[in-house]
Amino acid sequence: MHGVAPAVSLASPVIPTETPVRPTRTASDEDLRLARACATGDTGVFEEIYRAHGDRMKSIAYNHLGNISDAEDAVQETFLKVHRAASTYNGESAFGTWLYRVLINTCYDALRRRQRRIQEAPLDDVITTERAGNSVDDAKRMTLRKMLSALPVQRRSVFLLFEVEGLSHAEIAQVLNITEGNSKWILFSTKKQLQESWKNQS
Amino acid sequence: MIISCDNFDDILMEGDALSMQAASRHTAGCQACAAKLASWNEISNVARGMHTAWQNDMLWPRIERSIRAEKRHAQSKWWQIAAAVVMLAALGVFAWKANEKVRNDQFNQRILQASALDAVEKAEKAHLAAIDQLEKSAQPKLDDASTPLLVSYKEKLMLLDDAIAECQANIDRNRENAHLRKQLLAIYSEKQHTLQQVLREGNHVSNP
Repeated sequence: MHGVAPAVSLASPVIPTETPVRPTRTASDEDLRLARACATGDTGVFEEIYRAHGDRMKSIAYNHLGNISDAEDAVQETFLKVHRAASTYNGESAFGTWLYRVLINTCYDALRRRQRRIQEAPLDDVITTERAGNSVDDAKRMTLRKMLSALPVQRRSVFLLFEVEGLSHAEIAQVLNITEGNSKWILFSTKKQLQESWKNQS
Repeated sequence: MIISCDNFDDILMEGDALSMQAASRHTAGCQACAAKLASWNEISNVARGMHTAWQNDMLWPRIERSIRAEKRHAQSKWWQIAAAVVMLAALGVFAWKANEKVRNDQFNQRILQASALDAVEKAEKAHLAAIDQLEKSAQPKLDDASTPLLVSYKEKLMLLDDAIAECQANIDRNRENAHLRKQLLAIYSEKQHTLQQVLREGNHVSNP
């Protein structure tokens, strides 16, 4: 393996170029059924999706936006977007992966809107008020959240999806529309950066 | 796989279970890499605790309501589009009909105008023929104008003929000008009246 990976540079990470990897898991008949039902606005199917993915969606949105209210709004908006765009689902990725992609884009939109609002409280302040705790674990989580909030949004997304939500690199690649290799590289360089900050915090 | 401190980062970047086991084996005999791996794993462990779950029984009903509202809105939008299309079509038909009517009216008016003009010209020709007839009767007296009055009538008739010729030339250029036609009619009437006076004067002269 030595010499295969590029040298690590945390300041300006060099993303190895490679041919984009085709999604490892394409749509099943079930995924296509879900998409068709979503396009017609079948609320029964939407509820089915909410039961299956709602918890993870809320967690992803919360970790991107930093508060429950915005996270719930993002989840709601994601379902509306899915309703509007389900007819364009082409089955290149699993329906769940596509759903997370819509969610992540919704979170990015919300972050951009938030950046435009001058009076908006900074993300780390929100997190502090939401998640203040006494235990050592809570303190560590808070520290990590603060570190993550300082990262570029794509790095944060890769880290959260892999480390927090347990998605594979192949799934992350589909969600974020990057290659699997990029996903690995971004995660590695992000963790390296966090490791340095972690040491300084300690 | 042989792992050394040099390629330890490559192993971490791979990140799969097999690579991490290999990294663990390497750290058993390497304190520097062990510390690195420990903080690496600590970040992962803390991150796993960041998965946030909460129960909100109102969220799904809220989402469901918004989807239903969106669906209704989309349906009403289609109805609005359909209604707009129907209205546009109705307006189009109305405009076409109105245009058709205007065109028919214009056509009818043109036909009427032309036929009226023909009738006027026909009447004028008959009138002219009658005046010509009158002129032929008066011509011998005019050719042999024995009194100053007859000479004066002759000059007047010559002036009237000039005026008729000029007016006729103008009418030929603008056939539909009603004013010119009235003017021509007036000149012809004057000519007719003058010819009648010539004939009357001639009779007075021949029967003193």
